[in-house]
Amino acid sequence: MSAVPIHARIDRLMRRLASEPQFPTQGQTIFVDLDRQEIRRAYIPRRVVETFLGGRGVNMYLLHNLFDPSLEPLHPDIPLIFGTGILTSLVPSASRGNVTSWSPESGVLLDSNAGDYFPSFMKLNGVDHLVLYGKARKWTLLHIEDDEVKFVDAAPWVGMDNLDLRAAIARDFHGVEGKDYGLAAIATSGENLALCSGIMAGPKAIYARGGPGAKMGSLRLKAVVIQGRSADLTPFRPHKTRNRDVAQKLLSASVIKNAMKVRGTPFLYKPSRMLGAMGTKNNQETTWTDKLDAENIDPFRPGMEGCFACPVNCRPLNDMTGCEHTPQDQYVKGDGPEYVTVGKFGPNIGISEVTQVLRLNNICNDLGLDTASTGSAIAWAMELMQRSIITSEQTGGLDVRWGNYEVIERLLFMTAEREGFGNVIADSSRAVDKGHYPPEALDYLMAVKGLTQSDPHDARILKAFALGLAVSTRGMDHLRNRVTLEINAKINDDPDFKRELYGGDVSAEPNSYGGKEIAVRRCENIYAVGDSVGMCRFTTKLFNSPTLPGYEEFVDQVANITGIELSLAQIDGIGLNIMGVERMINAQLGVGRKDDTLPKRWFEEAIGVGPYKGEKIDRNEFDQMLTRFYEISNLTADGVPRPEWRAELESVLTS
Amino acid sequence: MITVRLPELLRDGRGEVVTMMATSLGEVIARLGLDNDERDELFNFAVNGDLVLHGEKQVVLNPGDEVEIVVAFSGG
Repeated sequence: MSAVPIHARIDRLMRRLASEPQFPTQGQTIFVDLDRQEIRRAYIPRRVVETFLGGRGVNMYLLHNLFDPSLEPLHPDIPLIFGTGILTSLVPSASRGNVTSWSPESGVLLDSNAGDYFPSFMKLNGVDHLVLYGKARKWTLLHIEDDEVKFVDAAPWVGMDNLDLRAAIARDFHGVEGKDYGLAAIATSGENLALCSGIMAGPKAIYARGGPGAKMGSLRLKAVVIQGRSADLTPFRPHKTRNRDVAQKLLSASVIKNAMKVRGTPFLYKPSRMLGAMGTKNNQETTWTDKLDAENIDPFRPGMEGCFACPVNCRPLNDMTGCEHTPQDQYVKGDGPEYVTVGKFGPNIGISEVTQVLRLNNICNDLGLDTASTGSAIAWAMELMQRSIITSEQTGGLDVRWGNYEVIERLLFMTAEREGFGNVIADSSRAVDKGHYPPEALDYLMAVKGLTQSDPHDARILKAFALGLAVSTRGMDHLRNRVTLEINAKINDDPDFKRELYGGDVSAEPNSYGGKEIAVRRCENIYAVGDSVGMCRFTTKLFNSPTLPGYEEFVDQVANITGIELSLAQIDGIGLNIMGVERMINAQLGVGRKDDTLPKRWFEEAIGVGPYKGEKIDRNEFDQMLTRFYEISNLTADGVPRPEWRAELESVLTS
Repeated sequence: MITVRLPELLRDGRGEVVTMMATSLGEVIARLGLDNDERDELFNFAVNGDLVLHGEKQVVLNPGDEVEIVVAFSGG
């Protein structure tokens, strides 16, 4: 039993929240008890906003206050928190929001970001945060319109996957997604508590990492529909002139106009492959066929799509109609793939045909499966079969071998249903804990803090990438702090520019450990701020370009839209604060320095091909780099905020 | 003779493949007119299929080498 029940925690928190908006455009925080069908509303205090901004940052404030580590992640007293960025829907390319909880997949912090339309419709309807808890007595759809929250019997939609569900919601709520309403929903994988399931925020957009689909399913919540545009979003002072600057900056960046708008992220497959850093067969190898290079997807790409009010439109669509090698069913067309999916469902599992990757992508989107976790879990199983650590006895006779397309496709449906060996894949990185695999299987799990790697890039070469994956608070994920520009020779060869970019000396050599902690720190801060204002990672400074919008634009628009004035140093400090409270939450789960590490393989096995053949992670050098990272991050030797800073954070979190 | 494969964006009236005499990648960059701010952070060079991540201008080239310009960024 909970030491302090969720209702008592919320009572305590409500006493510290505000009853009126603290600035123009601020939305409500709505607490929804799905069991009792009760609603409570409040506003986040200004001091909290000045410390964590909104979106991911304020989600952490809420989770820290409502978290009970004596429970289990899927306990109904552990809340699922949706948050929208403080600038979401109000600034070009700011269309994102986060969902936060305790991950049933990794066992540490769950925090996942998505775009498309749902986060924008939260903001457009005056909902900044939605705190969901309690297990509904029957499957429920939450409908929010004109400030009214309704609990709708979800029976008509239960059992539907993403394609059918989105069509049914459009029909039943008489509207068009993205124009009339935003929808966040789970597919059958979430209903069946598959730990690799996400919450679908669009045809492809997904709150993916950490098993948020399973968490939503455990509350018996099928969907949230936010309809209309009822909020008064009049800013503190006009912001549209500055918006034009932001849009111009976005559209003039070469990476946007020449890559993101043209083919999207699959472009990255080729450089990773050429570098010998493309995770292949569960990272046993690091290069794969050129048949999956982005230009080979061109014949199947009818156009590009985008999120709410984003001028970039970076999401490639796919259409294989008429292709004789592909069944002409509902999966003949869809959204995507992103680079992650190309890697995880291509080289990682031994697939080399573009049409097969596209079809697996479309199936995962329909079933609500996170392609990173699901692809990683399948690759792990394949290596265990290869090594005879598991046999066909455990797989129910399925021939789970590299590149066996028919089995892989079938396994996705079995995973969503938790049927046969699909039940094992559905337990993702927890398969050993759940008794499916023997403990020695963990030697081949490509995960940090219980979360499998998000992207396919093998980080044995680029040490900044490696450090980032090790220290990421949600586990092994590149979107939290990836120093992407380390792959660019022009920047590496310009020490003055690089120093200015990161605020310190960072070695030009990508495989050196020198100064890489400085670059990771800088990226982790600005990405956390980006998640809190709602900016897309792809269009945030440092992730893909040094010329994209960053702190300068964020402080101006936060001031214009909310009236809250921040200096560049203050907004950078907010990024650090968010990392700090995330580490405080993880520390309650026993997470510390021992967990800021990398898979065993990367320390012990060297890259076998390419210009960096022989490269691996040196344990001693890595350890020193980690110590330096803690020092510049104001963390103790065990990776939590130092006492003085911790006291400051706690005064905001709990006073 | 060095073979250079250009992405569509940087062809500027040239063909997909151009050939030239050069002993270093720095020379190739200069001859292509890419040694200025117009070549931004999007493009990297690969020599004989190996991506170059730093010290690009000092990379020594030998007759028969193949240089490719590769679009490199990140995604999710």
